[in-house]
Amino acid sequence: MAATKAARKVNRSKLRIALIGLLVVAAWLGMAYRLVQIQVVQAAELAEQGLSQRFVSRDLAPQRGKIFDRNGELLALTVESQSLYAVPGQVEEPVWVAQQIGGLLDVDADTLLDRLNSDQKFVYLKRQVDGVLAEEILSLGVRGVYSLPEPKRIYPAGIVASHVAGFVDIDGVGQEGLELIYDQDLTGIPGKAEFERSLSGEVIPQGYTRIVPAVPGVDLNTTIDLPLQYQAQQSCVDAVERTGSASCWVVALHVETGEILAMTGAPGFDPDLRQTVDVDCDAAEDPPACRAFSNFVVRGILEPGSTQKLITVAAALEEGEVGIGTTIPQVADELELLEDACRSSDDEVHGCYRDFNEHETQDMTVAQIFTQSSNIGTIKVAERIGQDRLVEYIEAFGLGSRTGVDYSAEAEGILRFDAGCETCWASAAIGYSVAVSPLQMAAAYAAIGNDGVWTTPHIVASTTDVDGDTEVAGFETRKVVSETTAQLMRELLASVVESGTGQGASVPGYRVGGKTGTANKLGEDGRYTDETRASFVGMAPIDDPQVVVAVVIDSPDRRFRTGGLAAAPVFSEVMEQALHRLGATPDGRG
Amino acid sequence: MSVRPLRQVPDRNRLRVLPGKRLRKPTIAPWMIMAMIGVVAFLGLGFARTSLDRSAFELAELDKAINEQIAINRALELEIARLENPARIAPLAEEMGLVAPETTNQLLVDLEPTSPVVADAGTEGQNQ
Repeated sequence: MAATKAARKVNRSKLRIALIGLLVVAAWLGMAYRLVQIQVVQAAELAEQGLSQRFVSRDLAPQRGKIFDRNGELLALTVESQSLYAVPGQVEEPVWVAQQIGGLLDVDADTLLDRLNSDQKFVYLKRQVDGVLAEEILSLGVRGVYSLPEPKRIYPAGIVASHVAGFVDIDGVGQEGLELIYDQDLTGIPGKAEFERSLSGEVIPQGYTRIVPAVPGVDLNTTIDLPLQYQAQQSCVDAVERTGSASCWVVALHVETGEILAMTGAPGFDPDLRQTVDVDCDAAEDPPACRAFSNFVVRGILEPGSTQKLITVAAALEEGEVGIGTTIPQVADELELLEDACRSSDDEVHGCYRDFNEHETQDMTVAQIFTQSSNIGTIKVAERIGQDRLVEYIEAFGLGSRTGVDYSAEAEGILRFDAGCETCWASAAIGYSVAVSPLQMAAAYAAIGNDGVWTTPHIVASTTDVDGDTEVAGFETRKVVSETTAQLMRELLASVVESGTGQGASVPGYRVGGKTGTANKLGEDGRYTDETRASFVGMAPIDDPQVVVAVVIDSPDRRFRTGGLAAAPVFSEVMEQALHRLGATPDGRG
Repeated sequence: MSVRPLRQVPDRNRLRVLPGKRLRKPTIAPWMIMAMIGVVAFLGLGFARTSLDRSAFELAELDKAINEQIAINRALELEIARLENPARIAPLAEEMGLVAPETTNQLLVDLEPTSPVVADAGTEGQNQ
């Protein structure tokens, strides 16, 4: 019996051991199955899933290029700022937070409260604030308020260079000026960072990492001279105040190279704030007046008036139809090209031309006609060359077509005569029936200063990439008149300042030449109004011109309605500074 | 007479060499060597990994420091540009009583004559 019992006990133990063994084997098999399932069957899928949890791919924003003036002064650069945001669900006392932070950020508390009470998971409190201010706000320890770094574009020269540099929007995309036309070059090429991160968000050092670095944008080296730009801007601000005009625009060109040394206007705008400095404007009533972003020098067109006479007389001289001493007989102060045009009260009847000042009918030399800015005399000169040749020269001088300047949305101008228009040539000869930009006219005058060679005006001299390699911009030149004609025209321009209508343009120490222009503005009904655009375009030193300055003043008060009264003094101030900046030797005859 | 016990001749065939422990230097068993290599390799790998991790963290810190310095540099560039802005300097200069020169005199040095000539902006006929 005992033996049987013992045998049973042994059998039971063996059974238990077998069972345990079986269980262990089953467990191992299960684990092996799971192992095979994970490591083999689902390996790819799970690896992908794991990687997607750890893997992060981020675009690397390239550093936007800087903009410099010709002396290396910064006109635009990008710095790091902080954007403050909130997670509304985490903010415990939105009213208190809106009041506290709104005050510090200078944001309306109600606006902030609306954002904090919204259903969104992320709301900006204010973007691109100064790092110190962001630190101050974060130090309040408000739950649910955070900051993230964000690049911000800054314009250290402010309003002075705003019409050149332009500005970017809050996301750093070019909207105006050089920022717009060179947007792609300035932006650079975005990079990419791919890496694995831990649960805490840290980069796993030995994990997968692939970084394609961003290529920073190129730096623009402009031709602008900041001190001259400042002088031009100040002169314009003063002129607007002095003449009661709507606006004033100035451009200064280097005669030989076509470099734009200054280009500005008033009223201007602060590119950092992207708003006009004209505090009187009401955005609700007159949005265009409150956004003086548009650069009239490049984009505006105007009937040039008497400044156009340079082209007419140069064409006649170049064609050999007249010399500067040629006498034009019987120059009256009124001319009817169409019968009864001057006696008609109908504004639609064209063909009547008058000189600005009444005078006796007299014989006048070409030089006198130019110096005294006689419309009738100029029309008689134009009559000798005819419409076709006149238009050829107008086109050759680049009027009525884009100059090709590297600035966004350049105006083309208008140079087309309606079919059957019998008097358009006469109007064009004295600066009506054509519309040009101030830059086109400045470039035409620069051609006279440059011995008859027209050069494309440009703002960017070169670009420099991240490696320091510099690419110099190219520009077009073309001969439009001979050196002799150019020299004769310069003498005529000098006589305008020395004894003609532009005496207010003289510069102490230098002999200056230029031409006044006064053109009546067209009203909305297409008829001329009493308002004028007063202009002056000139160059100095006249014997070896280095700079051309063009000034346009829009709608000055009646007592400043001419180019000689409104624009010539501005020209004088800007030209004086330009000559000093370029180190031009005084010729002592100013 | 003396008796001497009969000397038993040993049976040479029954002699045999017994294997004994040879006196030699103590040796490490191959498995121990392998184990040691394994341990050293493990520790080495661990050390290398730790070093790499530390280097990676140090690099990250350096990157961060470089970026901070770049940001500071840019802020300083901005400050310089703002300080050099003519719109800031000109009014300050005016407050201090500085004025722009009304005439420009240039000293023109001709290498031929012995004395320099001053070109006075306000005087006629002295340009060279």
